[in-house]
Parts: sequence; C-alpha cells; structure tokens
Amino acid sequence: MKDNSFGSLCPLFCGLHNKNLSTRERYRCMRNSMLIAMLAITLIPMAIISGINFVQYRQLLQNESYANARWSAESARATINAYLEKMEAAITVVLGSYTFEELTDQQQLDQIFRQLKEEHQGLVDIGVIGSDGIQITYAGPYKLVGKNYNDSIWFHKALTRKIYVSEVFTGFRNFPHFVVAASKKGSASSQDSWVLRASIDSETLDHFLASVNTGALEDIFLVNDSNKLQSSSRYHGTVLEDFKLGNKPKQDDILISGEGSNGSFYRAISRIPHTPWFLVLDHQGYAKREDWHSFKRGLMLTLISCSLVLGCIIIWLSAFIAGKLREADEMREAMLSETEHTNKLASIGRLAAGVAHEINNPLAIIGEKAGLMQDLIEVDRDFRNREKFLGQLSSLQDAVKRARTITHRLLGFARRMETSLTLVHLNDIIREVISFLEKEAAYHNIHILLQLQKELPVIRADHGQLQQVLLNVINNAIDAISNAMVTTNNAMEAINNEGEIHITSSCDDNKTVMIAISDTGPGMSTETMKNIFEPFFTTKGNEEKKGTGLGLSITYGIVQKLGGKIEVNSEVGIGTTFIITFPVYSERSEGNGHN
Amino acid sequence: MDTIKILIVDDETEFGSTLAERLELRGFTAKAVSGAEEALTILSSDWQPQVVLLDLMMPGIDGLTTLDLIKKHDPRIQVIILTGHGSTESGIIGMRHGLFDYLMKPVDIGELVSKIKEASAV
Repeated sequence: MKDNSFGSLCPLFCGLHNKNLSTRERYRCMRNSMLIAMLAITLIPMAIISGINFVQYRQLLQNESYANARWSAESARATINAYLEKMEAAITVVLGSYTFEELTDQQQLDQIFRQLKEEHQGLVDIGVIGSDGIQITYAGPYKLVGKNYNDSIWFHKALTRKIYVSEVFTGFRNFPHFVVAASKKGSASSQDSWVLRASIDSETLDHFLASVNTGALEDIFLVNDSNKLQSSSRYHGTVLEDFKLGNKPKQDDILISGEGSNGSFYRAISRIPHTPWFLVLDHQGYAKREDWHSFKRGLMLTLISCSLVLGCIIIWLSAFIAGKLREADEMREAMLSETEHTNKLASIGRLAAGVAHEINNPLAIIGEKAGLMQDLIEVDRDFRNREKFLGQLSSLQDAVKRARTITHRLLGFARRMETSLTLVHLNDIIREVISFLEKEAAYHNIHILLQLQKELPVIRADHGQLQQVLLNVINNAIDAISNAMVTTNNAMEAINNEGEIHITSSCDDNKTVMIAISDTGPGMSTETMKNIFEPFFTTKGNEEKKGTGLGLSITYGIVQKLGGKIEVNSEVGIGTTFIITFPVYSERSEGNGHN
Repeated sequence: MDTIKILIVDDETEFGSTLAERLELRGFTAKAVSGAEEALTILSSDWQPQVVLLDLMMPGIDGLTTLDLIKKHDPRIQVIILTGHGSTESGIIGMRHGLFDYLMKPVDIGELVSKIKEASAV
C-alpha cells in the first residue's frame, strides 16, 4: 500500500519510510523530527535577533564610554593646564615687576611669597637662584639658602627657557614636589642670568585631579616621560613609583584604547602642554555599567522564558500533530481494510452466484430425472426392489433439495437484494423471531430471556431481512449451546445442563438502537472470530446440521446494507455476544438521503 | 374436460423432456422444445398451449424476448419463467411483460403443478 500521507511532506521525516521501524517508532521519529524543525524555525531567528541586539547595545555603550573618556580627559587636562598657566603667569609677573636686587632682599621676597601663597594653592616656597646654581634668597618653610642647584636638570632647563615646569622630584627637602621656574638675563651685579623658582607640593596635582573625578572614572593620574608617577594613582601606586605608559600620543592628541578584560575600562592618555607630564585617565567601560548588566539580565531572561514557553508549546504541538496524523492514518487504514473486506465479500459473492447459476441447471436435470424415476416406480407396483429404489431416490431428491438450498442462499448472498424499507419496531421483530424458535430452544433445554427497552425508537429497514438477521444469529446461538451440551462427556451433566440466550434491546443516545444477543455456549477462539463473517466459513461440523457457512455472511451483508453494524465478542468457555446496531430513523436523516 | 397443454422451452433438452414426461404422468399434455424458434413453430401450428414454461438464458433468442413473442402471438397464453439464472430484477422485468410467475430451478414438482393449475385457471 502506497503511503501518500505526511511521509512525503518533508525529508526530515526520513524515519517514516524506514520499513525496519515499527509504527510506534516511525511516529516517534516523525514527532522528534517535527519538534527539531519547529524548534529550529522559532529559536534560531530569536537567538539571531537577540545576538544582534546584544552587539548593537554593546556598541552603543562602547561609543558612549569612549566619548565620556575623551570628555573627561579633556576636562582634566584643561583643569591642570589652567592651574599651571596661572602659576606661570604669577611667576612671570613677579619676575617682570621686581629687580634682582629687590628679589634678593629677604624681606621683599617673604612679602611676595606671602601674597603668592594666599592666591596659589599648594605653593610651598619661592627662591632666587643665581647663574651658578646657588640659591641666593629663599622664602618658605625650609632652610635652603646657599643650596647648590647646579646639578639639577630643571635649573639648566629654566636657564634656557623663558619659563619651565619641572617633573615631580624630592630634592633637598625630601618630599615630592615640582617647580615652576623662570629665568631673567642681565642685572646690576656681575651675574648674567638668574632664576626665580616656585616649588609646589605634588599633592596639589592630586587635589586638582580629584576635582575632575566622577563616579565613572576608575583612575586618573600623571606620569612623565621616564615612566614615573607624578601623582598618586588609585591602582598603580604613589608618586614617583614606576608606571609603564606604553603608547604615547603626539602633541595635543588624546589616545584612547579599550583596556581590561571584556572592555572593563577605557584608557585616555594626553600630553599636558609645556610640561613633562602625561595625563592618564581610566574611564569605566561598558562592562562595568549597571545598565549593561541590567540589559544582559533582561535579554537572557526574555530569551530563556521565550525559549521555555515556545519549547513547551512546540513539544505539545508536535505531539498533538503526530497524534492526529496517526489517528487519521489509522482511520484511513481501517477504512481501507473495511473496504478491502467488503470487496472481498462482494468478489466471493459474485463468484458464488456464478457457480450457483451454473449448478442449478444440472441440479434441475438430476432432480427431474430422479423425480421421473420415482414417478415411474410408483406407478409400477410390480417393480423389483421397489421400496429400496424409492428410498434411494428419496435420498437423491433430499440431496438435490439441500443443494438447492445452498445455491439459493448463495444467490441470496450475492444478489443486490430488493428491499422494501418501512418503519419497523425492532422489539416486535424480536418477538416474532422468538415465536419461531422458542420450541426448538425449549427442546434443547435453552431459555431465551428478553430484556427489551420500552418505547424503542423506530428504524427504517426491510422487515423480512431483519427477521433473517435475527433468525441467523439466534439459530447459531441455539446450535452452539446444544452442540456444547451434546459433546459433554458426562451424560447426567448433559441432561441437567441448561443454556441461556439473553436478548436485549436499547437506545442510549437516540441515534442508534442496539440489539445484543448473548449465549452461554462454548465461545469462540480469536482465530474463529476473525473469520466468522467470511462466506463458507463454518464451525458446524456434525453430519446432521452441517452448516453452509453463509448464514453470518448474509447477515453481515444485510446489516451493512441497512446502514448498521454487527460486532462479535466471545470468550472461550464463557459464551458469545453479537451486538447489532442500526441508526434511528428521523425525518432529518431521511431528508439527507440516508436509507 | 380437456387436459391442460404445456409447452416447455429450455435449451437443456434433458431437463425439458424429463419434465414433460413427469407432467404427462400427472395428467397434463406437455411438449418440450429447445429454443424460441421451435416454440414459435409449435405456436403457429394447431397445438396451442395454455401454459408455457420458459427458460431465461438460452442461446439465440433469450427468454424475455421469447416471452414478448409469445404474448404477441396470443396474450392469453400464461408464461412461467423456470430458470437457474434467475434474479429478482429479471423477474420484475418479466412481470412487466406479462409474466405469470417466476420459479427457480431446481423446482419442486408439486409447487410447479400448483402454479400451472393457477396459471391455466386465469
């Protein structure tokens, strides 16, 4: 049988064509294939969309973090720059406003120092240093007059430039500071150039850097060309500790790079103009932002919950569809099997009819010849062995009659019987049939018990055919019980045995009426039940009541023709029940052409 | 009273002749022929049957056509179909053509005699 159903719909259902698999396994394979296909169709696009969302949102946060890092770096650089420019301007003004002599006057210098200290945060001291590097005058908390700075790099750079900002160093006073120094040429004395120097505590730089710090900043500090920290760092140590900077920006550029694992921060590096310093700013990356974590949690939650819900729906749906397909296929197979069975019966019927027709003619000749012989012998009183011949011819006539019964039944089985449909009461027909059979049943010690539902709905059927159906089934029940009694070994037991046939009629749903005929006979094996409606199948083996094997075939055909159903349930040693159902007559069913 | 004349038309000659003999033994006058042509020949003679026993399936002219021809010849002749190939449908068609009755082979002689008497009494 060609499988033209779902099996050919999709190559995924490969297992369905595997003949080595059982039906159950093939449907499981189909359900699993459907499950995988549906999961792939729904979950893969969802995962792709989620992935795109993930990447796009991360890119957005990266861009934002990058822009914030640049803005913070520019802001910090501007703050430091402003402070230094203010300090440089103050030193330049003092240098321009006072002569060497005035500045080397201790009182004068002290007064200038006090004024500058009030205006400039972090200023530690100021001093005037001659061209030989010896400090001439000094105003501040230390005793540094006479100290020689000739070995200091900053001193020589200050001599060669108009104004110079030094690196942070410890110097004579032994604490981190930097100097802003300016030189001036020519004086009243013999010295050619001299330097006015202001020392500033390096903590001042920490203070200014801290002022630009925001919650999004991880760290901000200064480092010089020699990879020495010029201010304190949150993570890399204190002033003058080593810190390897790596790539350095050119001029006023800001170099920004992603650092840390999974973009935990962005590092912005920019040079502070006219100083030996680089500003290093570590800005919080997207990976540390709460909105990023919130987005990830939301995305995962949505993905997982959608996957679970879809998964459950798909599992249910694939099982449901597989179940429905299986039901449909089973129904189709059952219908095909039923059609095959009906066709088989029809074919056998046509064959039987042909055989019956062909047999009838020779049978008629035999009958007539035997009849003529009988007639002639009866006329001839002196015929030798007259009685013996008459007996033999009578047996011959009986055999012809029996054969005629078979051929007529065969024709009845095969013929499309002309039916006369009328509205009939099943209970009436049951009572009529019982009236024919009750004497025979009583003879075999069988009780027929009726349990008929009152006011049973009428059905539309042929009266005679219904009688034939009931006669066949009840006759079979009587034969089954009586045969079982005869074959009982114990004679007394056989005499005392009583059989019962229960006939019930009912209508539970107002759509079908049901007749159940149960006997207490020996029951049937499963194999017998399979063949019970086949033509020529008989279990009546004894010589006296040898069956034709057509009774139940005819019954089956009639019930089918009247739109009913006949089923048999049997258990060996318990008995057999035939259940016959017919549709209830209604004007509506009549209107629909249902006969 | 004249005996009832019966014509048996059946291609199974053994059947026809034997049945004719049996009917003769029961007081009828019977002739058996093997087909429609012979039957029409008999009918065109002086010997006119009251009842015809007619087979359905015959070579040449079939039973129903023969029935029409008999009825055309003399509508008073009663025809009983006696066939082994019978069906209810052919019986009904026969009735429409004026058939008296329809019997299936092999037939009980008593039943046949009874039908012949009924037919001849019409």
